[in-house]
Amino acid sequence: MRRTITTLLLAVITVSIASDQVPAPPQTHPILLMNATIHPVSADEIQRGAILFEKGIITAIGRRVTNLPDNTETIDLLGKHVYPGMIAAASVIGLTEIGAVAVTRDFSERGEVNPNVRAEVAYHPDSEIIPVTRSNGVLLAHSCPTGGLISGTSAVMMLDGWTWETSTLKAPAGLHINWPNMGAVRSRYSRITEEEAVKRREKALKKLDVVFEEARRYFVAKEAADKSGKIKLNTDLRWEAMLPVLRGEVPVFMHASEVRQIESAVEWANRQNVKMVIVGGYDAWRVADLLKKYEIPVIYETVNSLPRRRWEDFDTPFTGPAKLHEAGVQYCISMGTGGASNHRNTPYEASKAASYGLPKNEALKSVTLYAAEILGIADKVGSLEKGKDATLMITDGDPLEITTQVEQVYIQGKKIDMSDRHKVLYDKYKEKYRQLGKIK
Amino acid sequence: MKKTRLPLSAYSLIFFCFFATVKGQVKPVDPGQTIHHKTPKVFVLKGATIIPEPGKVIESGEIVIRDGLIESIGKSAKIPGDAFEVNLSGKTIYSGFIESYLERSDKKPPVTGRRSQQNQDEKTTTTATSHWNPKVKPDFSVLEQYDFPEKEGKTLRSLGFTSAHLVPGSGIFRGQSALIHLGNWSPGSVIKEAGPVQAIGFEYGTWSDPTYPNSLLGAVALTRQTFYDAKWYKEAWETYGRFPETNDQPEEDRGLAALSTHLENKGAILFMTDEELGSLRAGKIGKEFDLNVWLKGNGYEYRRLNDIKALDSFVILPINFPKAPDVSTWETALQITSEELRHWDMAPDNANKLAKAKIPFVLTTSELEDKKTFRNNLLKMIKRGFSKDEALASVTTTPAKRLGLSEVLGTLKKGKIANLVVTDGDYFDKKSRVESVWIEGIKYPVITEPKADARGTWTMQWRYDGEVRIDSLKITGERTKPQGKLAGHKMTIPLKSVTLSSNNMFNFAIQGDTLGMDGIIQFSGSIKEDYAEGQGRTPTGGTLSWFARRAAPYEKEKEEKTETQEKTSKLVVRYPEGAFGFEKMPSQPELILVKNATIWTMGPQGVMENSDLLIKDGKIWKVGKNLSISPKAKNSVIIDAQGKHVTPGIIDCHSHTAGFSINEGAQSVTAEVRIQDVINSDDINVYRQLAGGLTTANVLHGSANPIGGQNAVIKLRWGSAPDQLLFKGAPQGIKFALGENVKRERSWGRYPETRMGVEQVIRDAFTAAAEYKTKQASRGGGKGGKLIPVRRDLELDALVEILNGKRLVHSHSYRQDEILMLARVSQDFNFRIGTFQHVLEGYKVAEAIAEVGAGASTFSDWWAYKYEVIDAIPYNGPLMEKVGVVVSYNSDSSELARRLNTEAAKAAKYGPMSKEDAFRFVTINPAIQLGIDNRVGSLETGKDGDFVIWNGDPMSMYTACEQTWIDGKKYFDLTRDREMRAKRKEERNALIQKVLSSGENKMEKGSNKGRRMRRPGEAESYSCVEGELK
Repeated sequence: MRRTITTLLLAVITVSIASDQVPAPPQTHPILLMNATIHPVSADEIQRGAILFEKGIITAIGRRVTNLPDNTETIDLLGKHVYPGMIAAASVIGLTEIGAVAVTRDFSERGEVNPNVRAEVAYHPDSEIIPVTRSNGVLLAHSCPTGGLISGTSAVMMLDGWTWETSTLKAPAGLHINWPNMGAVRSRYSRITEEEAVKRREKALKKLDVVFEEARRYFVAKEAADKSGKIKLNTDLRWEAMLPVLRGEVPVFMHASEVRQIESAVEWANRQNVKMVIVGGYDAWRVADLLKKYEIPVIYETVNSLPRRRWEDFDTPFTGPAKLHEAGVQYCISMGTGGASNHRNTPYEASKAASYGLPKNEALKSVTLYAAEILGIADKVGSLEKGKDATLMITDGDPLEITTQVEQVYIQGKKIDMSDRHKVLYDKYKEKYRQLGKIK
Repeated sequence: MKKTRLPLSAYSLIFFCFFATVKGQVKPVDPGQTIHHKTPKVFVLKGATIIPEPGKVIESGEIVIRDGLIESIGKSAKIPGDAFEVNLSGKTIYSGFIESYLERSDKKPPVTGRRSQQNQDEKTTTTATSHWNPKVKPDFSVLEQYDFPEKEGKTLRSLGFTSAHLVPGSGIFRGQSALIHLGNWSPGSVIKEAGPVQAIGFEYGTWSDPTYPNSLLGAVALTRQTFYDAKWYKEAWETYGRFPETNDQPEEDRGLAALSTHLENKGAILFMTDEELGSLRAGKIGKEFDLNVWLKGNGYEYRRLNDIKALDSFVILPINFPKAPDVSTWETALQITSEELRHWDMAPDNANKLAKAKIPFVLTTSELEDKKTFRNNLLKMIKRGFSKDEALASVTTTPAKRLGLSEVLGTLKKGKIANLVVTDGDYFDKKSRVESVWIEGIKYPVITEPKADARGTWTMQWRYDGEVRIDSLKITGERTKPQGKLAGHKMTIPLKSVTLSSNNMFNFAIQGDTLGMDGIIQFSGSIKEDYAEGQGRTPTGGTLSWFARRAAPYEKEKEEKTETQEKTSKLVVRYPEGAFGFEKMPSQPELILVKNATIWTMGPQGVMENSDLLIKDGKIWKVGKNLSISPKAKNSVIIDAQGKHVTPGIIDCHSHTAGFSINEGAQSVTAEVRIQDVINSDDINVYRQLAGGLTTANVLHGSANPIGGQNAVIKLRWGSAPDQLLFKGAPQGIKFALGENVKRERSWGRYPETRMGVEQVIRDAFTAAAEYKTKQASRGGGKGGKLIPVRRDLELDALVEILNGKRLVHSHSYRQDEILMLARVSQDFNFRIGTFQHVLEGYKVAEAIAEVGAGASTFSDWWAYKYEVIDAIPYNGPLMEKVGVVVSYNSDSSELARRLNTEAAKAAKYGPMSKEDAFRFVTINPAIQLGIDNRVGSLETGKDGDFVIWNGDPMSMYTACEQTWIDGKKYFDLTRDREMRAKRKEERNALIQKVLSSGENKMEKGSNKGRRMRRPGEAESYSCVEGELK
């Protein structure tokens, strides 16, 4: 059966239902979005194009999609745009609710060496932050542990689901390490001397090498034990968790911003022979050649930030991505792990970079496809291509412009409830002023 | 000469002490423990070159000293028969140097980390009548805890200093200084017990310190209050003295009593400063109270020379030049600001710049990590062109004059105290050395080395076991650390353990193997001029005897080291210093015409396409189509803005940019503190925000207490001094705060800890203010009346201003209950709330906000960072607006303030509302809230010429700001910014090269110890959102 529904999606924004958001059921029937400007990101945009998805997977995309299966729901989106869902490439979404309330923080475990802790098991699917984030088109979040020296493993989460299990797209995504400061941080509140900073750095670096050596000893024993039944190995959860890194299956996400941190992290990764992604990367452009040579990608956080050095150009943080792009370094843009509540503004980080030199189409890629590639999920998301997940959004314009409205989103073909805590409260208090006769 | 003691009468005290101690006419009170010492103290110093004062020379003159005084001086002074002759031919004699600032402090080293210092530096000996605040102790005399370490005296003497101005070093009102001689400590060392100054330092505790003040804000406020109190104290006691019947006796306060007496005598107030804006801050207080301001300088004066000159103050200047920044690798060099590099280059010229500007100053060794570097630094300055006479005056005549010692010290003159410096050459020649100083006619040797010099080539004859040898002995090295070798026929033996002791005894040893003696041969003996002789032992214990004659004197080997060229820095001072400062401040063209732009007037004219904006003398003349100015008009600028958008300058209604200090949190009510006292005009974020189109900011006190401090509305006039940033004519305001930040538990237990208590604190404060107001009205002027005048209370003054409608309340708030609470309190006390700040639940009680006529200054979409913002929504602003509240979007962040234009876009998104209406949130609406909408916020005739040129729609994320103008002056220009970058790059390279080739860098490598990381207060951003930023 074919249905053609011309929906005035704008209405969703203002007359949303004042209730808790309910996770969507799996896609029950094929859906065709037509007459929209389709932005596959991996290819040129398609004016008045169509996209068909079924059981959560994109099955066709193009100017025209023919041979529609039975029961296809056809939605006419004349004047609208379709984009892949955006990705919060480094975040603590699901791992925290209210930053200032300690009991709601689950991203930083006690101790320095915690490779075995897993982000996905602490991801709270009922976090109010999740619907708020996805209703602006950010549909996937890389949720990362952040504590100590070795923080744990992260996971890529879909921002809809009844449980953390059904929300997980990829786990582990990688192991997180905080590269130590290479010298005293120059700030008013830092009273550490250069000597003390160097001492701490040496201690941390030594620890890192010791940890990796122990993990490798475990790795060797493990391989031997797997081959021979005679060799017995006692399970160590820490080193067990590091096997995917040592096997090269997932990268180390190395949180490093200052140039000396990045340089020494690269030296370390080469020596340890592990895949590495730089997260932070404030100074990455200063050593772009090095990063390009060793094919080390950068998750660039945060475009909207102040220059870290007084003498630097006022637009230094804005121009970082453009410089990485020009130098041919693989990169994407993220708001970072500093807080969970503002990731709905991820697209505006990218467009800020675009206002200071990054080409517009690059800006769009930097929060979609490039993020997917760096996180190792580009086979499923990041662009609109046949065979990929139908994780996408419908907008009335360029999602990188603030004034654009995101009208509907789909995650793996599931039509997502566009309501969120903010809209619920808005509706509630509009009612108050209606009762008072202050508004209509 | 009077022999009775006249307290606090300066000159009589000097002469009293001086005759009493130096001439010994008065029998010492101390009975002593030994027989009387009566050695004559009469000397004649002969043959030296005498520099009696800067610019004067007596070649080969004499000085007669008797009992500590100069009896005569000159070329042919009459030499009394009882004078002991001291031959100083070849030497130079200067008047003893005066150290103008020698700090005495009982301060313990600060605890690192964030733990409370708990006032550990305060003296514990307070009395019942001490001032209530432990940091206010004008009654303290530096001599009370005086304990002079001989080591320090020795160091100062080795530099030529013979007397010092001793200044107390802890607290805010630190107490009275004193003047002393730098000889061995004895009661007679005091020249003048009550020195010329009361010292003030803006000292404050750490954030977690419960004692007020714990911020610079509070320290300044307490200083001002104390000056008012001192004035009042005197009046109060006078009134009480005349009318004891009608008044209660005022409280006694030793501190205020001492301060009011000092002020009455027009005594100087010496303010400590640690950077040039601190000098201006001190000057401002000086002006307010008509003080005789002295400044303890900081080395940064050259950065605001004209402003400092205008203070007309005397400066005690340290010459602690910064060490070379660590630029050992390109990565570490990145960590060094341009400002630091430039300061390293310019700091040694500071004194000379003061001299050229005719700012009176003296030099001090204070602030030098190693005081011994004083002379090196001084020589460095002289190489850079500072005159020797000026240098000498700055440690002799000028300090003598300023410290009230001209009658007794500062020059070599008959009748003055015999304090002198003896050098072996020009003091300002690197090779010369200070040999001794004389203090009160007593010699203090500086160089204690043997008279004999062992160095040179000697012919030595020695005999042992019947044998005689003649060898050559060659002694080299330092005079006090000689080394050498014995050379004979076809052999050379190095000398072992060569020593020359102060009694001219000379010892050495040699390995005897070459001479056929197994073991060590020892020599010892003495030297007298060119002859030496002595005994020794052979390895077998046999006797040897020797003598030697000097065949040739010692010749220094040529020094390889070429001295680094020392030249005046070529850098031109920028405003502010560092990268992106102006060498020349922006000028104001008479006429500015911006043509063909899309103009967002934000006034009745709406958004006008293809239109022109005309500015005349800094004010908007007209907005319209086809405007033109005569091509002949001089001093005019025409900007073709085809395709560009022009808007009013953006206004941030909640900022903490450009503040050295933001929170005074030690008390729940601190209405007396003022942001205008702590403006950091050099905050680089001012420039960065100009680059985002911001022109005006409401700089607020933080949210540490229910009633915080007074705000400062500023214009971002980058490069100006702090007071020039102030928005003249803007209504005064004050910060209040409600909720979590103020009720948060403090370790020392501050009231309140609930929202219930917050309400009571505010009600209580206004109740007190109302009573104060009534009392003031009932007592009239006070002065000369029968009743003790009402004590002026800066805290209550500010609250009364609120009650009088002269001060707007800007209240940090989140939850609807507290918003409604303050609205009701304001109605009860009948005062005006200018804005609720943050007001993230304002949408829940918008009708109440509208009812009291308050504005709402909120964030566009921040939420969930703390519990009280769990219900924050991005629809807050638009919904309040619909209910009739004037709404603005603020930053509360030095970063967000750079992009308030796109924050406004969020109002358009979530409203949804038109872009033009949304843009009101960052232009005319905040102007209305701050009461400055008659001046800024829209582009209308007669308003200030504050505007921004954008390269596209200002609400688009892809748009960048191209130019920002304030008062018709261009403070930001993207093109000019690019030029500044190029210049900075070139300059940094040159300076880094200079550091590297200076040779200074090597010793510093990998060490930051003792290096000032940067100026205080540099480049930090504050936010109420993150709590109170510990």
